[in-house]
Amino acid sequence: MRWGIRAALVVGLLLLALYPKVATGYGIQFMLQLFMWVALAQSWNLISGLTGYVSFGHVAFFGTGAYAAGILITRHGWHWVTGSLMGGVAAVILALVIGYPCLRLKGPYFAIAMLGLNEVMRVLVSYFEGLTGGGSGLSLPTLHASREIYYAMGMTAVGVTGLAYLIFTSRVGLRFMTIREDEIAAEAMGINTARYKLYAFLLSAFAPGVVGGLYARDQGYIEPISVFPLLTTITMIVMALFGGKGTIWGPVLGAVALFVLQELVWARFLYLHQILFGAIIVVVVLLMPKGILGILQDRYRLPRTV
Amino acid sequence: MRDGDLLEIRDLTKRFGGVVAVNRCSLALAPGKIYGLIGPNGSGKTTLFNCITGLERRDAGEIFFRGKRIDGLRPHQVAACGIGRTFQIIRVFPELTALENLLVVTREPFEVAHRRAQELLRFVTLDRLQNEYGGNLSYGQQKLLEFIRVLMRDPELILLDEPAAGVNRTLLNELLAAITRLRDQGKTILIVEHDMKVVMGLCERIFVLDYGEKIAEGPPAAIQGDARVVEAYFGR
Repeated sequence: MRWGIRAALVVGLLLLALYPKVATGYGIQFMLQLFMWVALAQSWNLISGLTGYVSFGHVAFFGTGAYAAGILITRHGWHWVTGSLMGGVAAVILALVIGYPCLRLKGPYFAIAMLGLNEVMRVLVSYFEGLTGGGSGLSLPTLHASREIYYAMGMTAVGVTGLAYLIFTSRVGLRFMTIREDEIAAEAMGINTARYKLYAFLLSAFAPGVVGGLYARDQGYIEPISVFPLLTTITMIVMALFGGKGTIWGPVLGAVALFVLQELVWARFLYLHQILFGAIIVVVVLLMPKGILGILQDRYRLPRTV
Repeated sequence: MRDGDLLEIRDLTKRFGGVVAVNRCSLALAPGKIYGLIGPNGSGKTTLFNCITGLERRDAGEIFFRGKRIDGLRPHQVAACGIGRTFQIIRVFPELTALENLLVVTREPFEVAHRRAQELLRFVTLDRLQNEYGGNLSYGQQKLLEFIRVLMRDPELILLDEPAAGVNRTLLNELLAAITRLRDQGKTILIVEHDMKVVMGLCERIFVLDYGEKIAEGPPAAIQGDARVVEAYFGR
């Protein structure tokens, strides 16, 4: 069983690695975006699924990474790979600065503070025109590197999921979970909850920053509205919830299922897909708050790591 | 401070708005004894626990543990000093298994922690439920799990907030035996409990709170005959 799953994983990864050899341009773009959503949903899972601190502004890290990478690439001539990695670093620095005060807030107050952060970041980026191009956006030098970006996105998605696996199967992961379960009891049992919350937050900020940088490179043009949209936060939350927050494979499953669905519906009915998305949120929250994997785990008494 | 006291509380005061929950309360615990803390509902017992463990900030007064000031420390720092507690309202981690509930609170190497957790689970006969989620256990079982979770960290001072409530007679006797054994190992235990049979049978010295003030202190026999205690419980 264990070996079967591992073998399937290896085969799956190999197929994904070979896919660009045969893929069309559309296929590459589709998979690249799928990887992006897996990385985003999984990152959100690292803070919100594990510690229960619901971040409603995770796209702030995405946008910060996009702008950090965009500026380094256009103004300082950095390679897009190192630029995107620095995008991740910039996102982590932002998380460090705002995590310290914001993680003291509980429940809805934290969610709202994060929502506000995203608005602040968008306005800041619009304001410093000299650096960011302001409202008219930032154009990156032309580059045809879809295949390379495909691999970079893919590795980021695999990397975050691997990180999630390591965390979920370790005692550090359990300590993160005690914050969600009962923060006061965790403190009384000697767990430094403030520190662990910050760790989880920093870990959850890195990949969105990297992915933001790769997105900027892939699109070739970014503007405040395109990299700080609330809809992106909502989408990653819905994906994680749909698949099962607080599980390793839930966010992957949710991202794949919803992104494929969205693409199918979107291609046929331009406006209907937003209605559908809204309907899915309602159904998930009302009927299956633990997501698909959560339900399966309850029914078949599977461990959390499956 | 008397030499050798493990915990000393001096003139501790805690207010909530206009309510003085703990009022200039002083007490000292010598190591290796079982102490009781009793009083009518709302007399400040749990608030006193919360002040000791750092969950509430005191308004005035000082708390010393092994001669070191601990008021003002964060709860996890107090825990790291060697103080463990249980809660009146159960606080096990519901979506962690019984075993994980224990493993998560120590920093010992995994093998050591695992062996210790197994021993403790067997000790309260929860070993066959070790992979069950904490939230799926019965009330009494959760109470026991919370009790052994405190022991995982091997604290010097153990604060138990109503350990007997909701635990059946057979288990209760085992629990009381376990508490006595801990005392014999040199641990100090402070118990809040409403079951007078338990308190009088177990504790060597009892503190009585009423409206946040310590109104009496002494061995069980003296407390039972104390006029102020009788008045606090039954009225004049």
